[in-house]
Amino acid sequence: MIETGFVEVAIAVSLMVLAVILSRWQRVGTEKELIIGTIRSFVQLVAVGYALEFIFDLENIFALLGTLMIMILIGSHTASRRAPGIPRVRMISFLAITAGSTVTLGLMLATGIIQAKAQYFIPLGGMTVGNSMNCSALVMERLHSEVTGNRLAVETALSLGKNWRQAVDTFFRKAVKAGMMSMLNFFKVVGIVTLPGAMTGMILAGAPPLKAVFIQIIVGYMITAAVTVTGIVTAHLTVRQMFTSADQLKI
Amino acid sequence: MNKNGAKISDIILRTENLGRTVPAESSSRVVIDSISFEFHRGKIYTVVGPSGSGKTSLLRLFNRLDEKSRGEVYYENRRIAEYAVTDLRRKIALAFQIPYLFPGTVASNLSYCCPDQTVPDDSSLARYLKLVGLEEELAGRDSEKLSVGQKQRVALARALVQEPDILLLDEPTSALDPGASRTIEELITNLNNELQLTIIMVTHNFRQALRLNGVSLVLVDGKLIESGDSKALFTNPENDLTRRFVKGELR
Repeated sequence: MIETGFVEVAIAVSLMVLAVILSRWQRVGTEKELIIGTIRSFVQLVAVGYALEFIFDLENIFALLGTLMIMILIGSHTASRRAPGIPRVRMISFLAITAGSTVTLGLMLATGIIQAKAQYFIPLGGMTVGNSMNCSALVMERLHSEVTGNRLAVETALSLGKNWRQAVDTFFRKAVKAGMMSMLNFFKVVGIVTLPGAMTGMILAGAPPLKAVFIQIIVGYMITAAVTVTGIVTAHLTVRQMFTSADQLKI
Repeated sequence: MNKNGAKISDIILRTENLGRTVPAESSSRVVIDSISFEFHRGKIYTVVGPSGSGKTSLLRLFNRLDEKSRGEVYYENRRIAEYAVTDLRRKIALAFQIPYLFPGTVASNLSYCCPDQTVPDDSSLARYLKLVGLEEELAGRDSEKLSVGQKQRVALARALVQEPDILLLDEPTSALDPGASRTIEELITNLNNELQLTIIMVTHNFRQALRLNGVSLVLVDGKLIESGDSKALFTNPENDLTRRFVKGELR
């Protein structure tokens, strides 16, 4: 286990001082930003540490759900900024991420795999929301580019009497697949090329490797389920926004 | 049929103060400006005008690929909004300027509109191919391996499979050389004769309108500035803008 007392932190700070001296000596011109960055990251991380200590003491389910909701709000805001050009984009990613997270976290809670304690709920919630956020953004981005790039194909299908859902069927499937691709690729290389974050963190913190592996397996499957739900919900809601009620392409 | 088209039942499509405004950068732009016109059953119409005059925009209002902003379109004396939009688009078929064929064979493209029915069977497939001047053997050919002219014909045949009442053609010869253009023009005349199909075709070339020998509508800046028998209209234009267009001063 790595020691984390004041001495260790002080040694790490001295490394930053060294970086500032080097920057000055070599006239890189980044010393001011380094100093501000050092102070800033120290303050921010310590503040977050205290916040987590506080949250981890919470056993109130409403407080946990409130925290999860804040994560989802921030996640959906971030996802929506990556897919401009889609109407109601923030609402879409919010609903999709909520659906994905609720289904998986809810199932984990209901089956008793995790307890309603911040220690489990918050990190798992964070990972679920984070991955769902990426998936949602990817699906929206992909759908938007596929449909705008294949306008003629979509409108040809519409002109031949297909409804909006049939007209974008191919692109719908492509987009959901694209959103899930990173998870599918992850399964191919996990344990061979990469050691995933949760597992590495547990091993660094001193947990037995096999226990770390099983936790990772649970986390991995859970995230995949959340990502799948999020991807499909995102695609459905996004496609609906691209057409008027008279099956007219409006983006 | 009454040659003067005086009977109401002869009017298959009618517009009344039809207008469309689209949002532009800072304000909005009128693309179709208050067009009232009656299209009679079984005739050939050519919509002629310089580029950007609203010809394509007008066609797209007829099968509701776009939505009107003002006025009304009546098909068979009923507002087009009263029809299920997928039915309307089968009755008022549109062939785009650039033909888009779906991946697969010519036959799969022809049956695209109605996959749940076994229509067209082999014999009717051959009939549709013959209608557009293609060999029966082409049915099994990969749609990507066709020439532009062949693609245009397959797209036409695909529109005809739906047994439309009105065929909308958006510059169907713009990508073809003069020889191929002429054969498509002949094909259009034949379709009109054989199927009693009402054809509304957009072209920027008034000579093409003369060759098709139907009724022409001249559009400038979204306004219908003149209409009438193509020969009379273009040999002796009344409107100054039409005169300038014929002289090649408007492009």
